[in-house]
Amino acid sequence: MAYILQQLLTRSAARFPEKTAVWARGATISYRELEEKSNQLAHLLRQRGVNKGDRIGLFFPKCVESVVAMFAVLKAGAVYVPLDPQSPVERVGYIISNCGIKVLITKDEKRRALDASTLQSLDFCVVVDQPAASGNGTGLVPWTMLADFPGSHPPQVTLTETDLAYILYTSGSTGRPKGVMLSHQNALTFVEWCAAKFQISHEDRLSNHAPLHFDLSVFDVYNAIEAGATVYLATEEIVLFPTTLAAFIETQKITVWYSVPSALVLLLLHADIKAEKLRCLRTILFAGEIFPMKYLKQLAGLLPDVELYNLYGPTETNVCTYFKVDRGRLAGMDKLPIGVACENTEVFAVDDQDQIVTHAGASGELYVRGSCVTYGYWADAEKTKKMVIPNRFQDNFQENIYRTGDLVTLAEDGNYYFLGRRDSMIKSRGYRIELGEIESALLSHPDVREAVAVAIPDEIVGNRIKAIVAPDQSRSLKAADLQQHCASRIPKYMIPELIEFRTTLPKTSTGKVDRVELSRDSQPSIVS
Amino acid sequence: MSTAREVTIKDQVREFIREELASAKGISSFRDDESLMDNGIIDSLGVFRLVTFLEETFGVRVGDEEISAERLQSVDTIERLVLSKTKK
Repeated sequence: MAYILQQLLTRSAARFPEKTAVWARGATISYRELEEKSNQLAHLLRQRGVNKGDRIGLFFPKCVESVVAMFAVLKAGAVYVPLDPQSPVERVGYIISNCGIKVLITKDEKRRALDASTLQSLDFCVVVDQPAASGNGTGLVPWTMLADFPGSHPPQVTLTETDLAYILYTSGSTGRPKGVMLSHQNALTFVEWCAAKFQISHEDRLSNHAPLHFDLSVFDVYNAIEAGATVYLATEEIVLFPTTLAAFIETQKITVWYSVPSALVLLLLHADIKAEKLRCLRTILFAGEIFPMKYLKQLAGLLPDVELYNLYGPTETNVCTYFKVDRGRLAGMDKLPIGVACENTEVFAVDDQDQIVTHAGASGELYVRGSCVTYGYWADAEKTKKMVIPNRFQDNFQENIYRTGDLVTLAEDGNYYFLGRRDSMIKSRGYRIELGEIESALLSHPDVREAVAVAIPDEIVGNRIKAIVAPDQSRSLKAADLQQHCASRIPKYMIPELIEFRTTLPKTSTGKVDRVELSRDSQPSIVS
Repeated sequence: MSTAREVTIKDQVREFIREELASAKGISSFRDDESLMDNGIIDSLGVFRLVTFLEETFGVRVGDEEISAERLQSVDTIERLVLSKTKK
């Protein structure tokens, strides 16, 4: 059994040295090269002063070097933090400062886009593309320097499964993103479950659709490496265009696919997918949002021999429940369950009386217990204390459990069904979005007096975002100005698509903005 | 094919992308040869809003197989796509 993630690579490199480990943008890297290059980069990082537990940002569009960088950071005993290459500079700067990142692995153009104070806070940057010819060599380490370090073995660092492996930043309700800390054990609990459940073999070809800062990518990368399989990283120019994406699945002979449901819905609607073209595809996993039943039934009909699984779980636990789609039952189903707990994980619902739900039909908030549960949020003890809490349902020993904030119902057959959120978190295209983070961005504009963000349910992407804003009367604020203002603070997928201006916002009897009324006014639009 | 007509198509395309797609992403300016994917102006739903706009405005039909990075890369390539269809 592997107890730290990099052992997965070292083992597969010994078994399949010449096999392709990663494909991206037409480039490939073999297991041997991946092992050697990640050893070299790990030595480079150590030699430049990286210590165990240091956080290292990965800030560049995905390519084969992304996977080299992930393993190199782990081998150096450090913790990697994938930064969304499309995120506004201010947000990236916030994460770098919040997480105490002193070293970036990046592309030169990405590094140049960062603001001066962020750049000054860094010790050095390893640049994966063309080494910058500029004389400013002190803080810049070109990728070609890897050649100076040994590739045959990783640096000597003592690690246990309880050490941190990576930190994934997600939307935070207070207006700032929060970093979910994941240990090697957290990751391996999931990876090992997937390896057994989906029988991933060295003959498999896995797709990677999700961005690397999104937890779906943990399966794609680590399960491919665990099995000695190949992972095909789908980049923007593939992901955005359904027929291109369908051709990618066909020509790369993808066998196991994992994505948010909306990517599959777009394939169904615009790519004319056929079983005879996607012959190699054997398993489709989806997670991150609710799959509309109408489309799931279509998909199940179009690809009759492909196994379909609905996976559920927040970043804080990765996947904690799953449901295998049963084609025999599907026709009569109007809602898809999130299913039952994965092996080595326990889930239970807690009702309003603080009792564990045991009988069918009852509802409560879903809690998760086991080695998949995060330690909490980086440098945020307060938020951690609210969400990762002592298990009050057993008193034999101390352990933490995670409260998901998701309301679920327990069904007759033992499956859980997702009902909704306890708070104002929503999902769009599988991304977690705290409406509060959007509101903070809106309110930070000097001409905005009041602002509320609401979700408009959408059949394909889950939710679209609308803002209702009461501007300062003396100013003539335009929607485009406000959207531009938001763009420097929050990621593009969080910027409200629609902005409605009102002179005042409706209030509840306690004087708070009446979100319920505003949401009611924002009825679902029909998507053509 | 007059130059005036080309300019009109390009202007309309640029205007639509700026008003309907770029501004919602907080982007106010972009070059005609700039990749609309690299700068994040076009997302997975934006692609289809753009296609609907082209079909309705220019009376052309854009097939699913034409909805690709190659054809919809930039204002320049979109203009070329529309022109290739209106010339017939």
